[in-house]
Amino acid sequence: MENQSMEKDSCRAEELKERIRVLERENALLEEQLKEAEKANWSKSRFLSSMSHDIRTPMNAILGMTSIGLAHIDEKSRVQDCLYKIQTASEHLMSLVNDVLDMSRIDSGRMSLNMEDFSLPDLVHDISVIVRAQAVQKNQELTITIGRIYEEYLSGDPLHLRQILVNIIGNAVKYTQEEGCIQVRFSQRLEEEQLSPEHAGKIWMCFECEDNGFGMSEDFLTRIFEPFERVHNERTRKIEGTGLGMSIVKNLVDRMEGVIRVESEEGVGSCFYVDIPLSAVPQEPAEQKLPKGQKVLVVEAEEERANQIAAFLREAGLDPVTMENGLEAVTALTEAQYEKNMPCALLLGQELADIAALEVAAHVRQLAGKEFPILLVSGEDWAQIEYRATRAGVNAFVPCPLFKSRLLTALSSLVGSGAAEDDGLADHRIDYGSHRVLLVEDIALNQEIAVELLSMIGVQVEAADDGARAVELFEASPEHYYDVIFMDIHMPVMDGYEASRRIRGMDRKDAAEVWIVAMTADAFVEDVRLAKEAGMNEHISKPVDPKRLQEVLFRQFSQE
Amino acid sequence: MQPYQEEYIANLKEIVALSARRKPDGSSFDAYWEKMCKSRQEIGEKLKRNMELLRGGLFPVLDHLPGSDAAVQEELSEFAGMLLNPKEEWDAGLFTRIHQALLNTARLKNDRDQKVRELYWLGIGRNAICNKLVGLDSSVTEEYVSQMRLCFTEAAAYLKYYDEIADEETKGYILRSRANIALGQFKSVSERVRLLKQTLQIFDDPEYQSKAPGLPWSRYLTMTHQLMAASISYSRENTMTAQDIADIMESVYLVHERRMREAAEKKERPPVRTAFHIGAINYYCGLCSFEELLTKTEKLMDEGDPTDFSMDNMYAVISLPAFYFQFLEQYPESIPKRREYIADLGRRILAYVDLFPDAAENATLSLYLRQVSHTFVEVEGGISYGIFLQKLLIRFAPDIFVHSYVVGKAASVFSGIIFSEEPGFFDDIEEIAAICDQEEKHRQICSYAMRCGVFHDVGKINIMDLYSGLARQWFDDEYEIAHLHAVIGRNCLSERESTKRYAQIAHGHHSWYDGSAHGYPSTYQRLECDCRQMVDVIGLVDWMENVTGLVGQYTGNIKTFDEAVETAVALEGRRFSPLLTARLRDPGIKKQLLGAFEAGQREAYRRLYEENGRDAGR
Repeated sequence: MENQSMEKDSCRAEELKERIRVLERENALLEEQLKEAEKANWSKSRFLSSMSHDIRTPMNAILGMTSIGLAHIDEKSRVQDCLYKIQTASEHLMSLVNDVLDMSRIDSGRMSLNMEDFSLPDLVHDISVIVRAQAVQKNQELTITIGRIYEEYLSGDPLHLRQILVNIIGNAVKYTQEEGCIQVRFSQRLEEEQLSPEHAGKIWMCFECEDNGFGMSEDFLTRIFEPFERVHNERTRKIEGTGLGMSIVKNLVDRMEGVIRVESEEGVGSCFYVDIPLSAVPQEPAEQKLPKGQKVLVVEAEEERANQIAAFLREAGLDPVTMENGLEAVTALTEAQYEKNMPCALLLGQELADIAALEVAAHVRQLAGKEFPILLVSGEDWAQIEYRATRAGVNAFVPCPLFKSRLLTALSSLVGSGAAEDDGLADHRIDYGSHRVLLVEDIALNQEIAVELLSMIGVQVEAADDGARAVELFEASPEHYYDVIFMDIHMPVMDGYEASRRIRGMDRKDAAEVWIVAMTADAFVEDVRLAKEAGMNEHISKPVDPKRLQEVLFRQFSQE
Repeated sequence: MQPYQEEYIANLKEIVALSARRKPDGSSFDAYWEKMCKSRQEIGEKLKRNMELLRGGLFPVLDHLPGSDAAVQEELSEFAGMLLNPKEEWDAGLFTRIHQALLNTARLKNDRDQKVRELYWLGIGRNAICNKLVGLDSSVTEEYVSQMRLCFTEAAAYLKYYDEIADEETKGYILRSRANIALGQFKSVSERVRLLKQTLQIFDDPEYQSKAPGLPWSRYLTMTHQLMAASISYSRENTMTAQDIADIMESVYLVHERRMREAAEKKERPPVRTAFHIGAINYYCGLCSFEELLTKTEKLMDEGDPTDFSMDNMYAVISLPAFYFQFLEQYPESIPKRREYIADLGRRILAYVDLFPDAAENATLSLYLRQVSHTFVEVEGGISYGIFLQKLLIRFAPDIFVHSYVVGKAASVFSGIIFSEEPGFFDDIEEIAAICDQEEKHRQICSYAMRCGVFHDVGKINIMDLYSGLARQWFDDEYEIAHLHAVIGRNCLSERESTKRYAQIAHGHHSWYDGSAHGYPSTYQRLECDCRQMVDVIGLVDWMENVTGLVGQYTGNIKTFDEAVETAVALEGRRFSPLLTARLRDPGIKKQLLGAFEAGQREAYRRLYEENGRDAGR
């Protein structure tokens, strides 16, 4: 009995010990969970406090600017300025809210990838437009270079890819001092089957973003991808954000089966590396349409870019001749023209060693004539320089970072394999034949030259010898019959001003809309103004430069 | 020449003479005033007539140019040659237009020799335009220099076909174009030196010379050596190699040292320009220190005779100070110990100009003074930059002075009216807001407005030829150049203590109230300007004076005072501040403004009468 009782006691003691051990384990677990919860709670509290500050800042701006706007409601420019500032603050507020929503979607598992085909050049271009604007505001030097690219057309989730890359580069801009440097590199590597059978046949898009900014401590690097974590120090105190960006990036990269890592040193800078597996989408190469063996003159001061352009052209079977000076190019083209041995196109870099590229373009356009293709290869935003560039005679734009397909597509659209029969004037994406132009010119020879030039472009041309005849023709035509009217000013019977006024005064839908271009040797400021006052839309001076005719038509018809 | 061409040239010369003739002839002010009004009217009529001549005579010819015969084109060339030639420079803008049209025709005909000739002349025309842009930053002038250089480069490219070109004159154009590529500023000095060195080798080559024996080879060589010698001023740049320096020194020896030796042999004083260049070259080559260069320059300036008005002496008295100031600007630590010397130098310059007979008609003097205005160093106890600019305007650009004075007067009256209605209106200006005494505040506002008016257009000094003695309306490219005056004015004024307060006025007075691109320059941001209300006031009265005055004749936008007011009101909220145009609707204020415009003009001419009369009395 005693033995039994002792055994029972011993069992109970064991049970108790076991229970105590379990309880201790549970306690330890609970403590750990409590710590985690406290830590999470602390992070969330800090996040809430930080968010409330970050939300309050743009909200304050919105409220403040609204008050100022209301107080100066009669001063249009002041109100406009307030509205712009309100718009900026609202956009910032929206991005904060979006970050929080994104994170919550990821947490709840509602975030899914949308696979679709996309163009890598388009993606890089979009990203560069967004981040360049941010870097410009801080006078930072942002360079985007393209390494070895195997496939430009890929399948993946471009929207989320963009989000990843913009977030990383955006952070580099934020956490780098004014006038700092940010270098972004895109390249590709092919997956080797033996190394990663699950990704066989995939192309890895490799992205690097290196800056010489504030950098991060080793301690912070271990937490960088955790939600609500942000670098806190004196230099970053004023930088706004949710601390969710990197966490979102990490989640997205993981979902894409990619890899992200970061190297950083405080006070030196950071470098992010992202590798993402994508599938290739085969495309028909643009170089097939190019005239093999023909010379292309490349004028580019930046050696690396010149070599890259030359390599792409050589791969397409063309014969690039490179030089770094604009004056050298003008000499070469003058000689080539005299010897009837012109290259099939001129590729002009944005920065030449001696002279502005657009000045060279304008002169070459005069020298080489309307037919000669001039392409501008530049990292600038085309929208910003388009007006000046087309006026200077540039036919096409090749954006940088430079992709082979972009370069060759632009080139083939201008030269093509049948360049010999090409008039070189018209842009083939536009159906000029469906457009009608009324040419009003009293001098027979001038009329003949202009009709010839316009016909070469491919538009249908009708001519009138004076303003009165032009008015008659317009009145008798169905609505929207004429797309553009080129109007001489000094003509017998009725001058161009009067004819334009009469056309504009007609009671028909197209009277106000038809594009009227003054064509005259009178190139004084007053003449430009008088033409506008008479209802004409623009003014080109005589002797008529064919390039200007082409520009006008291209601009008008491409808008349609 | 055609009758219209002869009449145009005659009118042009008459306009230039009328514009320069502002000196009283001993008569009363009323007689002088009447004469000036008549002269203004005459200028306006001649300008109008010239526009008729161009529209009726020249432009129809340009219209028909592709089909015209050689005689018409030769006649046009001759007409252009009258407008700009080595001796006279009447109208570089029209010269350039004509040669551009002739070049287009040559291109259409694919006539090689004509193309070369017209490229050369177009380059010369563009070079003349570049030379008028005095003291402008290279980022501004680069566009115009490039256009010139591209013309010469294309013409020079035909050197490859030298042997097959039969016409010796065409060969001459090619060779001169080759040398002229080196005109103007370069991004790389080595490139310029390399280019000139190759050109000198060509000009020195007996093979080339033997194929065109009639060309003035030694003149070509001398002029190219002069261009090469001028490259020395870049020698402190890192881009220049030892070989570059050696090449330049070779030319320096040929151009300058030979002159020094010749003068020494004849026991004459060497030309000041040569002596200065030698000194500067020694400095640039490291053969003397900066202090020694300054001392040598001071010695040359001190040797200048205040009563000698020869070219060489004028160089010593006026042009050298421009270089001297430029050196000091580069090393401002040298200024304090030279304070008294600099102050005296400024007074000596103005005294020399006061004594100069018919100063207003001397283009070289005007050019040198504009160079001084660009580099002027202001010191305590010396002539203030503001006074210097006013003197320059009165003497060499009386029309700009009258315009500026009238704008100041009208702005002063208008600002006074605004202040009496709304005392806090100009409180965006810190100094004004700080004044408590209302009477004093009123006085300060009116005086500030007056000075803002006087200085708002000083940028025009650097592009004076567009505003003084022009015999026709502006072409569109000239209008673009005219736009530069706002930024130039801002830069000049902001760099000197006495004129800092007016820099924003010069900068923003052509901007539009709504910030749209109709206005200029784009660098002016109205809402960031801390004196924007005054900028608005000056912008409005400046526009009104322009459209009712002489500038309106250059743009063809001429209005009566009533029309100007009506148009300004119509542009309310877009071009002009509604806070100002609202006041123009008040007939009483409108009348006061008209009175201010009229009184301002009379007062401005009285200043001219007094200043120029003092000169005439000597």
